[in-house]
Amino acid sequence: MMGEVTPAVTVDGVDMVFNAGSENEVVALREIDVTVQRGEFVSLIGPSGCGKSTMLRVIGDLLQPTAGSVEVFGQAASSARQNRSYGMAFQSAGLFDWRKVAANIELPLEIGGWSKPDREARSREMLKLVRLEDFADHYPWQLSGGMQQRVAIARALSFQPDLLLMDEPFGALDEMTREYMQSELLRIYSELGTTVIFVTHSIPEAVYLSNRVVVLSPRPGRIHAVVDIDLGPPVESTDSAKADEIRERESFFEMTTQVRAALRSVEAGTPGRAGSPGVADG
Amino acid sequence: MGERMNGLIPPVVFGVAFLAVWELAVVGFGIQEFLLPKPSSILEAIGADWSVLSEAAIQTGIIAVSGLVIGVVIGALLALLVTRFGRIGEAATPLAVALNATPIVALAPIFNAWFGITSFRSNQAVVVAVVFFPVFINTARGLLEVHPDQLELMRSYAAGEWSILRRVKIPNALPFFLTSLRLAAPLSVIAAIVAEYFGGPQNRLGPVITQNASVARYDSAWAAIVMASILGLVLFWLAAALERLVPWTQTGGEG
Amino acid sequence: MRRALSVLGGIGTLIVLWEGYKAVGGLTGDQWPATPWGLPVPTDDLTMPHVIDIMRTLGRPVQRGRDEILAVFLFKAALSTFWKAALGFALGTVIGWSLAVLMLRSRLVERGLLPWINISQTVPLIALAPIVVTWGRTTFLSDSLSVALIATYLTFFPVAVNALRGLQSPRPADLELLRSYAATEREILMKLRLPASRPYLFPALKLAATLSVVGAIVGEISAGVRGGLGRAILEFASRYSTAPARLYAGVVGAALLGLAVFGLVSLVERSAGRGAGRSLAGEGT
Repeated sequence: MMGEVTPAVTVDGVDMVFNAGSENEVVALREIDVTVQRGEFVSLIGPSGCGKSTMLRVIGDLLQPTAGSVEVFGQAASSARQNRSYGMAFQSAGLFDWRKVAANIELPLEIGGWSKPDREARSREMLKLVRLEDFADHYPWQLSGGMQQRVAIARALSFQPDLLLMDEPFGALDEMTREYMQSELLRIYSELGTTVIFVTHSIPEAVYLSNRVVVLSPRPGRIHAVVDIDLGPPVESTDSAKADEIRERESFFEMTTQVRAALRSVEAGTPGRAGSPGVADG
Repeated sequence: MGERMNGLIPPVVFGVAFLAVWELAVVGFGIQEFLLPKPSSILEAIGADWSVLSEAAIQTGIIAVSGLVIGVVIGALLALLVTRFGRIGEAATPLAVALNATPIVALAPIFNAWFGITSFRSNQAVVVAVVFFPVFINTARGLLEVHPDQLELMRSYAAGEWSILRRVKIPNALPFFLTSLRLAAPLSVIAAIVAEYFGGPQNRLGPVITQNASVARYDSAWAAIVMASILGLVLFWLAAALERLVPWTQTGGEG
Repeated sequence: MRRALSVLGGIGTLIVLWEGYKAVGGLTGDQWPATPWGLPVPTDDLTMPHVIDIMRTLGRPVQRGRDEILAVFLFKAALSTFWKAALGFALGTVIGWSLAVLMLRSRLVERGLLPWINISQTVPLIALAPIVVTWGRTTFLSDSLSVALIATYLTFFPVAVNALRGLQSPRPADLELLRSYAATEREILMKLRLPASRPYLFPALKLAATLSVVGAIVGEISAGVRGGLGRAILEFASRYSTAPARLYAGVVGAALLGLAVFGLVSLVERSAGRGAGRSLAGEGT
């Protein structure tokens, strides 16, 4: 596989300083090194203000780092964006009010210059993937929060981006919906095999979803610890209720405890136990 | 449907009560008709002067609507221009605020000098100036107040400026624009009538009001005022109906 | 500072546009360059006096044989108009608030009254001006008071509508919290609704302030009240053919008065609390 040669994302020595030189200077990120392999699911977790969203935006070429470099599939982040390698989803579903559900999903395809029949075929496929076939002709306001978020995920995946960047996409949902959405995301992830970088502040969410959890410390944002997640054999079922079995495993509790310990030591100011700071190769 | 009818009951009751008190007060306290005519006398005057009034209302309506259209187009285009080029915006926004603080009526004599005192274009220009501001400000707000996530999303798709304008900013501004249209529609009638005080052809509602008031035919003057209100209401309702046509909001854009 | 600069820049741009348009018209004989189409406004000095002439006329006597220069005359006129507008603004604000509180108290009153308050703004209030002045003369009101009443009619509407919206703006959870403290309706009004209405109120007051000037000027014109800007503009307009620059000076005076009252309310807003009363229109630029 080529994956061993070029990783999905290589973040190398990235610093991000806002308002440099002025009195309200903020060092959001300092000396960030991360490598994400193809097909990996990596979560960024940390207390608020640790720069996890900033890091996501630097990787997505929405912010230019003050120092260091970001490579995505072997190219600079800016060319990766021009080549439409990114799918993004935010905490607010960010659906366009004036577009029906299907048209929302087709938007990136439209910008990418797809033909109308291709767009329609793909949006039908995507709606099936997120199980919203019957809502193609609804306006976003007619949907519940969880359904809107599923549309946002369908939109982010519609053009089969190489890299999915998600910024607390389930942060505004209630616990039940949230767990359901997590299972759905895992199902879709295992069907498509995309690479995902996922920002969250929920420990169980990070553990449940990820192959690796990167713990960030705030002011300035640094990598504090990296926890490899191993929950045992995956559940071979598309039924999300069965997939929830993972949440009751012994390994799930062990892993959440490890991540929690790493986060605690962020607050205490001691180096993380699990993994070593700054080194995050998969 | 039944609910809608129920919603109409309170205002209708209030309106009828108001007219009844008015009528009774004029009769009961013996208020002279030249001070305040009874609603029934005004209604009679509308019937008696119908041909003059309807013609005047049509003429004023033409001025108001044509001025409204021109002002709305200018306001919306300028909003697009100003929000597209930040530099212009910085210089133009305080100017627009200054223009709004200017009593536009004071411009009427100047427009008379520009377009000729008997030309209807000078009246039209007053309407344009009055209508322009709410449209400009609201549309500009709609173009600027796009959710930051949506802009980031478009950038992540490597969408161009034009694509962002067409696909995000303009649809986002549409409800704001329609709200401003609803505000501007009745203003256009008022502006037309004020402008008519300063000049222009005489077969309009403004002159009909002043002429009747100056010869103490107050019932006829009030009749013309009622006609003007109806004209304003019709335009208001048309704009409000247009606003409700927007399918993607529950209420029809709140601005 | 930056804002002051951009305002100056704006004024400068306007002057350049004005003089530029005049220059182009002068060169092409009032036609769009290289086209057979005429310009919408002729550019001769009678229709569009030079900016410098408008400024110069401010320093000249108002009338032959009088010492008073135009600038002083206009200032006095603006002051006279200002007092009428201020009275109308005060009355309109009180009436607007009272209506808002009344509608807040009773859902029935709100549903019955609000549509009519909206409709009141389609009545060409200004058409009422001559009638209001006639009313005033037959009763005890001076003409100035009648003019103030016309300004009141324009002012009460934005205050009533926005005050109601502001008073109704607190979230249900906040209202429930205060009710859980057994607060009276009056306490809820003073401690929650009133502070919550501030961001709605000040934009309305700014609008009302400029509208009160419009109302006062229009009232002065229809009533023929001496001493104010409205009358001055009317007089200058009638002698436009001999001294066009004076009319422009009068209109600029009216614009400055409008800006002054707008600025006055903005100052009050700023001193009433930074941040809390941010105007919606000013955001995002």
